[in-house]
Amino acid sequence: MADTAKSGEAIIRLENIVKRFGGAEALSGASLTVRRGSVHGLVGQNGAGKSTLIKLIAGLHRADEGTVEIDGKAYDRLTPHLVEELGVHFIHQDRLLVPTFTVGEALFLGRELRFPGTPFLDRAGMRRKSAEILERYFGLSLPHSALIAELSAAEKQIVQITRALIANPKVLVFDEPTAALVRREADLLFQLIRRLSAEGVTVLYISHYLGEIVDLCDTVTVLRNGRDVATLPVAETSAADIGALMVNRAIGELYPKPDVTPGEVVLDVENLALAGRFEAVSFRLRKGEVLGLTGLVGSGAKEVVRSLFGLDRPTGGTVRIKGETVFSADPAAATRRRLALVPEDRRRDGVALDLTVTENTTLASLDRFSRGIIDRSAERRQTENLVKRLEIKTDGVDALVKTLSGGNQQKVAIAKWLSRQSEIYLLDEPTVGVDIAAKVEIYRLIGELAERGAAVLVLSSDIEELLGVTDRILVFFRGSVTREFPSSETSPGEILADVTGAHETLRHAG
Amino acid sequence: MALPSFAHGLARYALVAALAAVFALFAALAPGFLSGANLLSVLVNNFALLAIVAIAMTFAVSAGGIDLSVGTAVDFSSFAFVSLVLAGQPVALAALGGLAGGALVGLFNAVLIAGIGISPFLATLGTLFVGRSVQQLLTNGGNPVYLPPAGVPEAFRFLGHGALAGIPVPLIVTALVVAGAWVVLARTRFGRVALATGIQASVVRYSGLRLPRITAATYVLVSTIAAVVGLILTSTVTVYIPSSGNAFLLNAIGATFIGTTFDPHGRPNVPGTVLGVLLLGVVANGLLLSGLNFYWQQVGTGLLIFSVLAIGFANRKAAGRV
Repeated sequence: MADTAKSGEAIIRLENIVKRFGGAEALSGASLTVRRGSVHGLVGQNGAGKSTLIKLIAGLHRADEGTVEIDGKAYDRLTPHLVEELGVHFIHQDRLLVPTFTVGEALFLGRELRFPGTPFLDRAGMRRKSAEILERYFGLSLPHSALIAELSAAEKQIVQITRALIANPKVLVFDEPTAALVRREADLLFQLIRRLSAEGVTVLYISHYLGEIVDLCDTVTVLRNGRDVATLPVAETSAADIGALMVNRAIGELYPKPDVTPGEVVLDVENLALAGRFEAVSFRLRKGEVLGLTGLVGSGAKEVVRSLFGLDRPTGGTVRIKGETVFSADPAAATRRRLALVPEDRRRDGVALDLTVTENTTLASLDRFSRGIIDRSAERRQTENLVKRLEIKTDGVDALVKTLSGGNQQKVAIAKWLSRQSEIYLLDEPTVGVDIAAKVEIYRLIGELAERGAAVLVLSSDIEELLGVTDRILVFFRGSVTREFPSSETSPGEILADVTGAHETLRHAG
Repeated sequence: MALPSFAHGLARYALVAALAAVFALFAALAPGFLSGANLLSVLVNNFALLAIVAIAMTFAVSAGGIDLSVGTAVDFSSFAFVSLVLAGQPVALAALGGLAGGALVGLFNAVLIAGIGISPFLATLGTLFVGRSVQQLLTNGGNPVYLPPAGVPEAFRFLGHGALAGIPVPLIVTALVVAGAWVVLARTRFGRVALATGIQASVVRYSGLRLPRITAATYVLVSTIAAVVGLILTSTVTVYIPSSGNAFLLNAIGATFIGTTFDPHGRPNVPGTVLGVLLLGVVANGLLLSGLNFYWQQVGTGLLIFSVLAIGFANRKAAGRV
């Protein structure tokens, strides 16, 4: 396919790239060199700058400083079209295939084959060509006239890859390609990537799963805080080392964690299962304890939290709250048992932006303030107390919540449950999108909840944060709890290796 | 932060000012507008019944929906009321039957919206059509059902024609509905949660409140309030005319949205809706007395809605509340 003559030269080279969005620097001097014929891994935590870097190569963003070279030539103004002409193609999980197109239309969109010298489409030619590629690389035939909407995630990905292969690519960029695939499909994808590499196609492979990187790539670049901190031959490193490189930051005084002796068990989860999402999940949560859950998207951690709050109905297992078995999947029943959920999508599910601070704070506890008619001065007093206690910065309790900053909105979402006198708090990514100062205040609040005898469960993908605020951490991988760590004796790298499935690779290898 | 309260004053002022302006305009231009008899007629004929329907609509809009079938609830109430009186039932019992007839429409909407999850607009539009057909089937293709003048009990006429201490009964009923609705919407747990549902339904669900139950209750309440109008209307004209309730629909929606300009946050509210109905009533009556062509009345009403909404919106936008 692509020529291998100049193997080893840089085919994509980014030098000291700086990219700002408003005041924030997404990339502050990142470099990346992908050599012809290699399978190059790119890793980094959320916010490290991976997606910005990829969008730069794809011609979707333009660098503020630094140079982008493709095939030895520097380009100032890359466009998605030009990038494809240069032979660089992208396989992206979220990249939209028009769902109402047929397979054939999607494959050739924008570069339809025509009868030479006429405007007429060569339908038979297109069908022949796609069938040949599908047969050669995937050993299967997709009906040319099937609708994209009818395909599975894996089949959609095959359409994307086939579409790229039709254009004779030099470089294929895979952006989190296995996120929606089951194990067997992922294995087939790895085989395909190895084969394309053997045929001389250069591969840039972005993944959260460090195990995959170690398996598949020959070189890996680690991004952290907008910079490339290391580029290593995979043969000389390990998933744990890569993980350590990704999170290497001083933990310091960020986490004011009080020392609380846990009391009785208030939440007892036994063999909880939700078909297709998670299975055999068991843990106990005590008064005064802070338990961390972590895992990648689709690992089941978030689904467990949703099930506990009654948003999803588990298909097996038992949940006991203060010794009482819970049967109904109903948030109203959960809140009556003094469960609280601070959801991840704060602006959609956590606070009502067009209600006032007071109206939000008392929404889950109106019973306390009304016997028929709401006692508005009582709800106001309660809100003013909570605003003071949580140090919520607002123009007043009558201000609309949308006028507050993200961190203060999150505090209102927590205040709602304090007003309800909840005893078991489920916090889903509690510090996403809040600034560092508000984060520390939320950490302090978590500690305070535990001190006052509440049981707290924190779901987070920020591992340092979890290590700082929790007593122990359960790691989820592909639907089950793979390991439990005591927070005080664990390093971020160890957890990350588990989160990303590095131990899976070891198990496969051993 | 002086601007928001200042602009809020302006937005509220827009509605009151518009009302004062049209009042002054017709006082000057329309002969007989200011007479006591005419003003009473505005209240009884142009205000009372529409106000009740508009307040019903205010609940639906407050909860984030709309009810296009308020007229159907009026009609079903009227039909049940007339039929039960004709069947010789006591008037009080027949009136309860009327309210139940209206509530039935709301129950149907509740099943469609809260149970099946159809959008309120489409669900109530469907109910409007179904309701019209049902009425035609019940009345041999839409024939009015008259009460024979001789057989009408005095109690039946009281709702529409009676007076207490010199105040017409329809006005008293309207005042009670207004006061009750204001308390429920602005001061009770149900009103607060309905409002929160309209503003951001998923937060209500994530707060452990039973969203479908709240939505269902809202639509039953809307139809039950509208059913009160069916009783008064029937008592006034002693006849049930199929599908006549739909006449209230558009004005009720208009008054509700005009009324939102009266709230600092642009929320549907009972006092605003009442002012909106007054405004529409004064305009309709004034244009009629001015001898203007009937068809121009609609133009006047439309322009009025545009201007009040535009001013209210512009003010809130200036205050950064939109």
